[in-house]
Amino acid sequence: MQAERGQHHRSVEVLASKLRRRQIVGSRTAALETLVVLRQVVSRARFSNFEQLVEIIRGVGRRLVEAQPKEHSVGNTVRKVLHHIREEYQTAVGQTGPQAGTSTSGFSISKFVLQGQPRRHVPAQKTEVKTTLKEDDPEDPDSFSKGLKPVLMEAIQDVLDELETVYDNVSKNARDHIHPDEIILTLGRSKTVETFLKTAAHNRHYTVIVAETGPSYDGREMAKSLSSAGISTFLVPDSSIFSLMSRVNKVILGAHVILANGGMFAITGSLIAATAAKAHSTPVVVCAGQFKLTPLWNLYHEYGAVDFGNPSDVLGFNEGELVNKVDVVNPYYDYVAPEFIDAYITNDGDHPPSSIYRLLKETYDDEDNEL
Amino acid sequence: MASKNAASGKEKLIDEEQEILQAVVLADSWNRRFRPLTTKKPRCLLPICNAPLLDWTFESLALAGVQEVFVICRSYSEQIKDAIKKSKWSRTGSGMKIVPIMTAKETYSAGDAMRDIYTRGLVTGDFILVQGDLVSNIQIDEVVRVHKERRKTNKDAILTMVVKEAGVQHRTRSRGDSPIFVVDSETSECLHYEPSFAFPKKQHANIPREVLAEHKEVEIRYDLIDCGIDVCSFEVPSLFQDNFDYLDMRRDFVHGVLTSDLLMKNIHVFVAKDGYAARVQDTRSYESISKDILSRWTFPLVPDDNYPGSERYQHTGGNQYVAKTHPATISRTAKIGRNTLIGASTRIHDNAEIIASVIGPNCTIGAGSVIENAYIFEGTTVGAECRVTRSIVGSGVEIRDGSTVERGSLIGDGVVIGPGAKLKPFERLSVPWKAPASTAGSDEDEDEDSDIEDIEASQDTVDKASLGPESNAIVWIDKPPEDDDLDSPENYNNLKYMRLGEDDVTLDVHHSDKDTESVVSEEQQLQDSSDEEDNYDDHTDAESVVSLSKDTQGGLMADKEFRSEVNQSLERAFAEGHSVDNAAVELKTLRMASNVPLIRVKEAVVAAIVEKIPVLEGAAEQRTEVNKTIARWGQLINKIGGVDPVETISLLQRHISTSARMSLFGQILAAFYQSDVVEEDDIRAWHSLSTSQGIDLPLGEERENMGKAWIVGALMIHQLDQQSDSEEEESDEDEEASD
Repeated sequence: MQAERGQHHRSVEVLASKLRRRQIVGSRTAALETLVVLRQVVSRARFSNFEQLVEIIRGVGRRLVEAQPKEHSVGNTVRKVLHHIREEYQTAVGQTGPQAGTSTSGFSISKFVLQGQPRRHVPAQKTEVKTTLKEDDPEDPDSFSKGLKPVLMEAIQDVLDELETVYDNVSKNARDHIHPDEIILTLGRSKTVETFLKTAAHNRHYTVIVAETGPSYDGREMAKSLSSAGISTFLVPDSSIFSLMSRVNKVILGAHVILANGGMFAITGSLIAATAAKAHSTPVVVCAGQFKLTPLWNLYHEYGAVDFGNPSDVLGFNEGELVNKVDVVNPYYDYVAPEFIDAYITNDGDHPPSSIYRLLKETYDDEDNEL
Repeated sequence: MASKNAASGKEKLIDEEQEILQAVVLADSWNRRFRPLTTKKPRCLLPICNAPLLDWTFESLALAGVQEVFVICRSYSEQIKDAIKKSKWSRTGSGMKIVPIMTAKETYSAGDAMRDIYTRGLVTGDFILVQGDLVSNIQIDEVVRVHKERRKTNKDAILTMVVKEAGVQHRTRSRGDSPIFVVDSETSECLHYEPSFAFPKKQHANIPREVLAEHKEVEIRYDLIDCGIDVCSFEVPSLFQDNFDYLDMRRDFVHGVLTSDLLMKNIHVFVAKDGYAARVQDTRSYESISKDILSRWTFPLVPDDNYPGSERYQHTGGNQYVAKTHPATISRTAKIGRNTLIGASTRIHDNAEIIASVIGPNCTIGAGSVIENAYIFEGTTVGAECRVTRSIVGSGVEIRDGSTVERGSLIGDGVVIGPGAKLKPFERLSVPWKAPASTAGSDEDEDEDSDIEDIEASQDTVDKASLGPESNAIVWIDKPPEDDDLDSPENYNNLKYMRLGEDDVTLDVHHSDKDTESVVSEEQQLQDSSDEEDNYDDHTDAESVVSLSKDTQGGLMADKEFRSEVNQSLERAFAEGHSVDNAAVELKTLRMASNVPLIRVKEAVVAAIVEKIPVLEGAAEQRTEVNKTIARWGQLINKIGGVDPVETISLLQRHISTSARMSLFGQILAAFYQSDVVEEDDIRAWHSLSTSQGIDLPLGEERENMGKAWIVGALMIHQLDQQSDSEEEESDEDEEASD
């Protein structure tokens, strides 16, 4: 198996170093790249039983996550792929476990407890597998992988399709969230939020206030893009977020990571906006793809999690005398606690922060939380 | 490599050419600013923020998508080779091929290294040249793109230097070597490069007049950090080969190319707006770059992100970084200050204080010790109640209980001091050379050996009581060398400015030294260094005047000899029928060789051309002869450089006033006009000059002739005014006038 991993080493290592060097940034791009690499790895992988396959994929996941722990969508994508592969595998071997029943019907607390338990099918499998796929076949060790591969590719393709349509799916109910003549406040330049607002503009006439969002000033780009789509747009400095909040009907934010507790990491300034919204009882809605769901509860305990960037965005390097005397703290993200958020709009429906944990259970397998 | 190609395929498509990006790393510093830390290992393997400098350099290059790197190593080349072999770069999938190149010990400068690159034929296209002490997150591929774009239109653009805007007082900007760049604001061509050191301090910069005359807008900049990143075209190494006296990349090569009339090559500057780049070129910049890394200016090259070393660090409030994979043991009562890095498995005992420092892996900091702004390498033990301030402490050092290491000290690997040692500021210590000689391959560099032997020989005179009873150290004595070369940044006083812990206050302390004279001027310069930029214009003005008068003097002295040389050269050209271009090149060389101003050459050329015209009887034949000569050789006057037709006419007038060919002035002037050597406006401009009438000359034939010539000119202008269309008439009338 060591040798097998060596084969994919290169594409994995290239992605790992790109992630490290921040040549690939943005949750969706990272997720897409991860999928492409995973597809390569799986298509070339040689394994004679299912555990080996899972171990190979996990190995890749570990390597990538280790390279850039702050790009959580990478780990999430790997988890998602593992989840899908397990499902496909089970259908392929024709197994009907307790999960088959629960996953289709609705959730309840009692079933949740049941689902939270580790899968028990593994020892039972061996007897049933023989009908279609044979694991650990001593005569033809490749037969298992040959039989399973088309299914695996399909599973990965499903995840890829989901990622590629994520913006549209998040936006499909946009008109239900934005009402005529509302004033919406947003900040930063989230592709999801941008598509969401533009889609809503097809049916609704409303106004968007975009905060500049220093120090990246992504808001300027956002405002340009929105107004070119025919939406009436105001660009305001970050300092006026609070004073304008009384006029705002809804705050729509993008997210970097959605945590299991219902909180999220989003671009710097989101916390200010969310706090101001709380003070004015203005609803805060977060638009995000499902791939941002991360099975972590207390990431915000970690100081470095907000990703401290380069001080040069805030203080010019040419301010020679100041550079020596001033410590600049330039976090890229804010942690927004669940109590500030009213709803998450995802490609998998709308959810309150309090049910994010359930969504997570549905999306990933518990055993993959630690890759 | 294949996958890397595929990955960067998109960028490649834009470039239209499948060319791999090469880089050359000069992994030798050719100076000794880090001694004694570098007695047993090369500077590029010294750790900065606990990862070897060379790894930072590689990471900087990898960020730019460099695919092939040649590392030119001289001293301790085996160690460098080993380090590369063991590093993550030699694993598969690193995307970068690193080839160490061992160069001869006789490679004494960057220039020699470049010549070596040329002889070995390493580079095939444009390449990135960096020093082995670079820390950068600049997108160098962007610079390469700009460079290639420029090359498409201008084949003479051979080099692009990357500089970073920083401000005069920036901590990362070297004070010992802070050049002035004169840049064309529009084309970002570097027009002039003026090296400047902290000592001897320059009061003014010499900027050639042509620079200001020929360019509409120039920037004179003294606020740039020279990042030591050059994007070179393939002919750069060959230029080094041709000019065997080029040693330094900047002071010799850049300066040489810019001042040369023969090479006709351009050098450009890329002022990096985004990103960070700096060189660890002295102990002072070692400190400031460490601080820059810890305060994340180099992001994503920071200890908790894309860190070149193997250890991973956890980033906590106030930019503290503590090793994560092999956690450090830090006592609960220890105080860890801001901007601090603590290496793997290091132990910090009760009540110790670590402030803005870098502690290497496997170190021990004793109870109650205070480490402030210090850089401690791997495996060093600091005892209890010690104090280390603004110093670099090598690996495996033992500082025993109760010792004090004052600012600016450099302590070499394996030194033991204390207990109770009290080091003076700027003390440099190392272990005696002889002991480890057997293991470290002492024949590595003979002259470095002798250096150390000198130091060892002089140990008897040093009072070692302050080092503590258990010390094994030898003291490096700080004394100016007998042959101090003030033209080099390595001169004794200048090196002081490059030392860690040296600041303006410290230099005041040195005023009591014996070299009072120089120090007084130092002080003055420090005072007006802040408003230096404002004064710049004044300085240059004053200097350009001075240099002009000096030139004239020098010219007069060599005049006679030079004159005859020019005449001989021209005679040969006339006789052998050289092309105008060839003759011009020959004259240029001659001018450079005898160091005379341009006007002398011109004078001589004008005279020679005039004298070449044979004097004939018939007016018509005479005219043909004049036209023939001028048509053939007239352009030479402008080809030798510094086109100034008004001056040409004045020279012609002055020469002809004392010549037997006085009568031909009108015809020659007309012929000049015909062959576009001068224009109508130039004749007018000359005519309106007060000197053209020759009134200020002493009475005599010359003055008379000058006057006559002036009248001829007046007539000619008059005719031009009348828009006389026939050239015949014009010269006919001229003749009448001169008769």
